[in-house]
Amino acid sequence: MESNAGTLATRSNKTALEREEVAALESLQFTDEIHCLMSAPATDNASSFTALLELPAPQAVQLIHSPDSAKLIAAPAPNVEDFKGGFHFPSNGGLIERAARFSVFAGEGNNKSDSPEATSNNSSANLQKAVKSEPAETDSSQPLISDPTVENRGIKRKDPEKVKGQTKKSKTTVKESSDDTEKLPYVHVRARRGQATDSHSLAERARREKINARMKLLQELVPGCNKISGTALVLDEIINHVQSLQRQVEFLSMRLAAVNPRVDFNFDSVFTAESGFFMDSNFSGMVMPMMWPEIQLSATCLGERRSLQ
Amino acid sequence: MNNPHHLNPTSLKSRFTTRFLRALTKIRAQKPISSSSPTEIFRRYRRIKVAADKSMAYSVRSRRIWSRAMLWKLRSRSYRRQDPCSGRRSGKTNQAIMKKSSNENTTTRREDGVGFVEEADELRQLVPGGETMNLCNLLDETAHYIKCLTTQLFSPIGKG
Repeated sequence: MESNAGTLATRSNKTALEREEVAALESLQFTDEIHCLMSAPATDNASSFTALLELPAPQAVQLIHSPDSAKLIAAPAPNVEDFKGGFHFPSNGGLIERAARFSVFAGEGNNKSDSPEATSNNSSANLQKAVKSEPAETDSSQPLISDPTVENRGIKRKDPEKVKGQTKKSKTTVKESSDDTEKLPYVHVRARRGQATDSHSLAERARREKINARMKLLQELVPGCNKISGTALVLDEIINHVQSLQRQVEFLSMRLAAVNPRVDFNFDSVFTAESGFFMDSNFSGMVMPMMWPEIQLSATCLGERRSLQ
Repeated sequence: MNNPHHLNPTSLKSRFTTRFLRALTKIRAQKPISSSSPTEIFRRYRRIKVAADKSMAYSVRSRRIWSRAMLWKLRSRSYRRQDPCSGRRSGKTNQAIMKKSSNENTTTRREDGVGFVEEADELRQLVPGGETMNLCNLLDETAHYIKCLTTQLFSPIGKG
């Protein structure tokens, strides 16, 4: 059972490897890696996936099927530099044990061709089990390659563009369990757990994520928006901010109109006296749209005189 | 002249500042110095405001939807003012266009599938040219618009 599941996942992993930096991997030694893996203390998702990739396919597969290794699936795109920086591994002695136990499968590379239905169900069941044990893994944003059930049908690969799109969108790499769409040949989508994968909801989800990304940027621009939760309130804040900025501009141009032009503006002097201008006008013009420009007249005239001499 | 405070000549801030300064000097050259009646001040204020908007929009050119919309508004307004007779033709077409778009906007509310339609509509009224944007673009344009407004306010022209 597990061997079949193993081979299925092997195939998917193989394609994953092929797509990623296989050439770099081949140059790395195996024994060193196992030692390193055993001694690595912390679980750092960022590099655990790269750790996974260092192993040849069957070992990696077995690691996938252990419950703790579901974390590995959620790791970021493999990067040789990441790996060289030192990797960590979900510290689990049982994991290593299982890897050792299943090292027998290193030789069984020939089973990849048979792909029965039953095993596909098994593999998805296994993965689901692994998935369920790691419910909190939602923050790393990683693309995974298509799931083994689809792979088994000898289906064409994912579009590279779609991969890129998924990379940007997908937040979790946890496999989801909608059955019907996965039978279709073209669905190579990373969906979130428990969500439908038909094209409409996908497009909608993509849009929503784009909008959320932009809202985050806006939150950074508008001061005081970081603490607010809830998009409607954030939008209200943004609206208030834009309105206040527009009112400030109007008010300041009113002030400029009210000041009697005494001195001709000299470009250089304006630029050099920038700080001087700022100090005086900032002091007098704490931007309150209610204040009348006449009150500001004296202050600004003073400022002008001082800085433009 | 060695100037340590000199701005990067290609930045948005410096482009806006130079343009706005030029416009300001032009406006101040036209005005009699003694006038301080409210109407005169108000007229000057209108011109300065238009000059600020114009310099901002020209500094951004057509790269953004809001700048294009602003330039279009300014141009159509200036055409109508300059030539009311032949402007009738262009004014009509402009009015027709604007009415049509406003009708469309009132009848077709943009229900984007997300829950913030009212706020989005308010934002559309604030950002120039916002009526024609979907929510995604609207947020983009708002971010750039905020950045440009802040540049305007903190330019070294004594505007803040």
